[in-house]
Amino acid sequence: MNRTLSEGLCHDPLRGQCGRKTGRDEMKSWRTTLALCVSAAVAQMIAVPVRADSAAGVGEHLGNALNPLTLKTVPEHDPDGLDAWPDERTPTGKLLGWPAKVPETSSAGDGWVYHGQIEIGGMATGGDTDNAWFRTYKDLPDSGLYLNNFSVQAEQLGKGKGYFFEALGGGVGYRDQFEGISLGRYNDWSVKFFYNETPHVFTNRYRSLWSGVGSSNLTLNGVPAGGVGVKNADGTMNATDSQTATVAGLRSAIEAVEDSELSLVRETGGVSFDKYLSSKWRFIGRYSLEHRDGSRPFGAVFGGGGGGGSVEIPESIDYDTHDILAMLRFDDGKNSLNLQTNVSLFRNNIDTLTFENPLYVSTNTVAASSGVLDPTRFTSGRYDLYPDNDFYNIKAEYGRSMPEWYHSRFTATVSLSKMKQNDHLIAPTTSDLSGISINGVSAENNWNTTSALSRQRAGAEIDTRLFDVAFSMRPTDKLGLDTKIRYYETDNKTDYLACNPLTGQWGRLLNDGTGGAFAFPNTSAGNNPAGTLATAYDSAGCNLNAVKALGLVPSSGASNIRNVPYEYSKTNVEFGGEYRLARGQTITGHIEREQYKREHRERDSTWEDRLKIGYLNRAYQWGTIRGSAEVGRRRGDSYDPDPYEEFFSVSLGPEPTADVTNLFSWIHAMKSFRKFDLADRDRLALDLRLDLIARHDLDVGISGQYRQNRFPDSDFGRKDDQTLGTASLDVNWQPSDKLGLYGYYSYQRSSMTQSSIQPNGCVIGNYYYFYSDGAVASGSTPTAPARSGASLVDTVLVSSGNWSSQCSDHAANSPLWTESRKWTVDYDDTNHAVGLGGRYDFGFARLELDYSYVTGTSSLDYSYNDAALGLSSAVVALAGGGMPDSDYNQHTLGLNLVFPISKSVALRAIYRYEQGSVDDWHYAGVAANPVPTDSGSQAVYLDAGSQDYHDNTVGLLVQVNF
Amino acid sequence: MSIYSLLVPARAGGRLAAATVLALLAVSCSPSHKGTVPDESNSAHPGTEVDLMNQDSTYIGEKACLECHAHANEHASMGKHLKAFRSNPRTPAQTEMCEACHGPGSKHAADSLNRSLIIGYTRDWGTPVAVQNAQCQTCHKGGGQMHWTSSAHDRAGVACSDCHNPMVKNSLNGALVRSTISETCFNCHQQQRADFHKRSHMPLPEGKMSCVDCHNPHGSSTRPLLKGDTVNDVCYTCHAEKRGPFIWEHAPVRENCANCHLPHGSNNEKLLVAPRPWLCQQCHDASIGHPGQLFNNSQTAASALIGGAQSQRVIGRSCQNCHTQVHGSNHPSGARWQR
Repeated sequence: MNRTLSEGLCHDPLRGQCGRKTGRDEMKSWRTTLALCVSAAVAQMIAVPVRADSAAGVGEHLGNALNPLTLKTVPEHDPDGLDAWPDERTPTGKLLGWPAKVPETSSAGDGWVYHGQIEIGGMATGGDTDNAWFRTYKDLPDSGLYLNNFSVQAEQLGKGKGYFFEALGGGVGYRDQFEGISLGRYNDWSVKFFYNETPHVFTNRYRSLWSGVGSSNLTLNGVPAGGVGVKNADGTMNATDSQTATVAGLRSAIEAVEDSELSLVRETGGVSFDKYLSSKWRFIGRYSLEHRDGSRPFGAVFGGGGGGGSVEIPESIDYDTHDILAMLRFDDGKNSLNLQTNVSLFRNNIDTLTFENPLYVSTNTVAASSGVLDPTRFTSGRYDLYPDNDFYNIKAEYGRSMPEWYHSRFTATVSLSKMKQNDHLIAPTTSDLSGISINGVSAENNWNTTSALSRQRAGAEIDTRLFDVAFSMRPTDKLGLDTKIRYYETDNKTDYLACNPLTGQWGRLLNDGTGGAFAFPNTSAGNNPAGTLATAYDSAGCNLNAVKALGLVPSSGASNIRNVPYEYSKTNVEFGGEYRLARGQTITGHIEREQYKREHRERDSTWEDRLKIGYLNRAYQWGTIRGSAEVGRRRGDSYDPDPYEEFFSVSLGPEPTADVTNLFSWIHAMKSFRKFDLADRDRLALDLRLDLIARHDLDVGISGQYRQNRFPDSDFGRKDDQTLGTASLDVNWQPSDKLGLYGYYSYQRSSMTQSSIQPNGCVIGNYYYFYSDGAVASGSTPTAPARSGASLVDTVLVSSGNWSSQCSDHAANSPLWTESRKWTVDYDDTNHAVGLGGRYDFGFARLELDYSYVTGTSSLDYSYNDAALGLSSAVVALAGGGMPDSDYNQHTLGLNLVFPISKSVALRAIYRYEQGSVDDWHYAGVAANPVPTDSGSQAVYLDAGSQDYHDNTVGLLVQVNF
Repeated sequence: MSIYSLLVPARAGGRLAAATVLALLAVSCSPSHKGTVPDESNSAHPGTEVDLMNQDSTYIGEKACLECHAHANEHASMGKHLKAFRSNPRTPAQTEMCEACHGPGSKHAADSLNRSLIIGYTRDWGTPVAVQNAQCQTCHKGGGQMHWTSSAHDRAGVACSDCHNPMVKNSLNGALVRSTISETCFNCHQQQRADFHKRSHMPLPEGKMSCVDCHNPHGSSTRPLLKGDTVNDVCYTCHAEKRGPFIWEHAPVRENCANCHLPHGSNNEKLLVAPRPWLCQQCHDASIGHPGQLFNNSQTAASALIGGAQSQRVIGRSCQNCHTQVHGSNHPSGARWQR
């Protein structure tokens, strides 16, 4: 710290460097070479939108796993620190640390100075290098030449100049590469370019049965489309033998297939322009293009009513997203104005995904017009993938400071958006369905064109509106007050009727024609007049009112007949303030009401009242305390378990009354079931943070968070207390420019409980018998059958007059929601995260070490009455009391050693070790048993999930500064 | 003076524990009356309270500052503030270089150890945070800082200099106190740091995004300082395909992605709040079909090898084996998100 004035002063204070040109001439040829390398690397870049500021846009950060700090170069630290005062801290008390040494710069004439660095060498990775978990968001080199990072900065900083050029990058040529260029003039204008790739590896254990992964067509290899058909002697299909043969073929084909990877890469690039139009006005414009290309695990189901076969197909991804942003900003010290418009255009280059179907499917609803349906005709399926969509937003923000009037400030925001898509809709199936009928109506060529739809294009549109006004003032030095009103609403204009104009049928053809969910008149005697045909609705065409006017009981209450245009508004009103208790000590308090109004949800309105108090004490010499507590109480109007009637077939006619009619499709959900986003909720949030100055060169941070959501009115759904607690300890020791160490530990635990009832049935005219062990049986006579080891507790007859009361809610004698059929799940998460690391400068070498360890265990326990659920002893033995724990742990060690060779050249050795292990019951046994069923509906699982890994990466790089 | 000096007699191993104990005591025994409240400034200079605004100082110019702060100048010169001020000042204040931020320095030059005579941005110097922040806001008021006043960070008494240090070029952008935005945020948000290390997480540890991709730490019209009007608007910036709108919408998906996903990290796949199928069953308990069934360990692929009956609602992607388009479907048959 004993620097003299002459040492401290530069001849050119603008450069901030003094007398550091020694030995640089001999580096000139190196610089030329390196400049060429950098230029070549930069030339690879594609134009993309630039790093956004903190108010809008994404892409702030450029970096990758080896350069998480944008550029990780293991720099030398300045023994003189920043200034005369050592161990400076932020106002909260965090050490500012020892800055890296100021880089040396070179002169390029005409006032330009520059400096830069490049790090290139050989790297190699050994171990489970294909492992998807290991490769999450990163792409480390298997072996070979690797340009780890580079940067160059040139400036012309003379008075009236201020021009600059910066370029940087890393991982060049790899799937996690990043590059950026910015140039401009300080305080005047700038143009920035960036390019950034992010790999997403979903699995490396996918066994694909198809060619064309990543395209719009998937063609089967090794197994026949439509499954293996085995016929009986009479020429009809033998379903059992066909399914068994199909399963055998699938197993053989899967066994013969190598594991492959499903992944995609985000390639994002952009350009931005920033210009001060005057001392008060500023314009910012940005354009970015993100391209996503690859594939990910997906699925397809056939049949209906729960599935007639499922297979894990790969989804092809080929997306482009254009993002355009223009902002005009004004600030004169008192008035601030932001005018912003944003356009985002999503384009899916794969509109539909057609895949060949390897399953011998089980169908429903669709039937052969004559004879027996041959399911092998369903050779393919087709997805309408995410449609192109447009988003437009205009936003105006105004702020006015009125320091002369109690230091007050007023802000107002108006934001108007429109989301829309008008994609061409596709036909329900590509099959002509020849020889097939649906509820007595020929399906042939009635479902394979868009003429089968009520509209040809989606016409989906949601407008949103935001109005926000805030005001704050400080009437006295000690007291500050603020208030805020915020209103946000969505307006959904989407309208779609699920009706086929060609046939007049209401409902949907499911899963490429292998199933159906249709609404037609109930033909059971007693529900509708005798002779009512299943086609009676059809004659009304797609006129919904005309269908309703027929007054016919529908066959089912649960068929979708139109879309649900969900929309909501949200209003927040808040008031509060802070009071300065003493120097460095404040308390804050705020009350807030948040009110939702929703269309077509179980509750029209919910409101939550919140109270939050906070305390800050920065006055202690040993540190800072921050704490807050918040309580919230959410309530709402009456809870309607079925607000969706107008969108389902239940609305087409009166309720059924005839015996043998199963009413479960008229009863949407249990009356006492509460969806957690609408349920009454009492909330508690506690936060405490201590930032301790344990020594002049040592920080200790202690923090804790606790969250509790209690659902007082929820007997079913998410219920009781949902909790999350976190405790953390941080240590940061920075004794010198040579040595620095850090460590942290976080412990987290969360818990959640939910309950439900496995529904039984509710058939008019049926007797339901309730036994002492919880079992339920039904029959047509009042006499209950005897049950071994249990006695009869109750008998209930469901009639047309009592079903809504008997079956709407849980009860010990509810035929549908029998209390004994309740199950409860307790879910617990426990996590530990540890980090250790530091730096040490040996003089001849600089060492940096970072180690992290994380482990998590998720347990899921359930309770149930096996007799009530009719589970066999074998099932109970396997089911036990819960799922096996899902757990994982991951170690990551990064070791860097830099050996300076000269002032400009150093060698950097990199060693990175990663180890991960995971157990997830979702994938237990999938690798060995990808087609678990021997017969019946096939279920085919092709992704075996994450697996353990360990990998070592080593590298030796040359680090050149110029 | 730090707590260290109070603990000198203690053995090294006990210092940390002692510090912790003292800290906990401090929580329960906050200053009881005004007379004992320490000043933020370690020196507790009597003038601190009366001359913080430094109104009668005059500008003395950069050269005078450098007579004492030459080394600091070397570092500060690497930052964009001084580069811009020196080469192309945008306002009259910026022509004052160091004093543009620290205030006029004539009185400070005459009495350099008097902390009341110039604005400092460190804890030891003791300038009140409100004064520090107001000084930053002379330039940084509109734009991205429009909603700073009464934002969550403002209410928590966070100083600009808790996150920013224009005197040192620690970071590529933003003049941060740490190397990156995320590391700066983790100074206080340790819970989120732990979340980002979980099995499924946003790619912060891999250097592919930062907190500021979603949040504006300087304030926004939303409570969690989001950069969009809503949670979903923020998510759509990277997941634009899920924006739709769709013919067949899924109510909780349209309203708030956070109904099903944790924003930072999760022990479950896809940052899910809970494991499937139970996540879906927290809302779905239909009277018909499978949503209300008890799914259990007898239904895994492994159990199927030893006598269990597999369920596609349990294995692998669980409910999404069939309901693949759970974010919304544009297929005419997609009301249950199967196409």
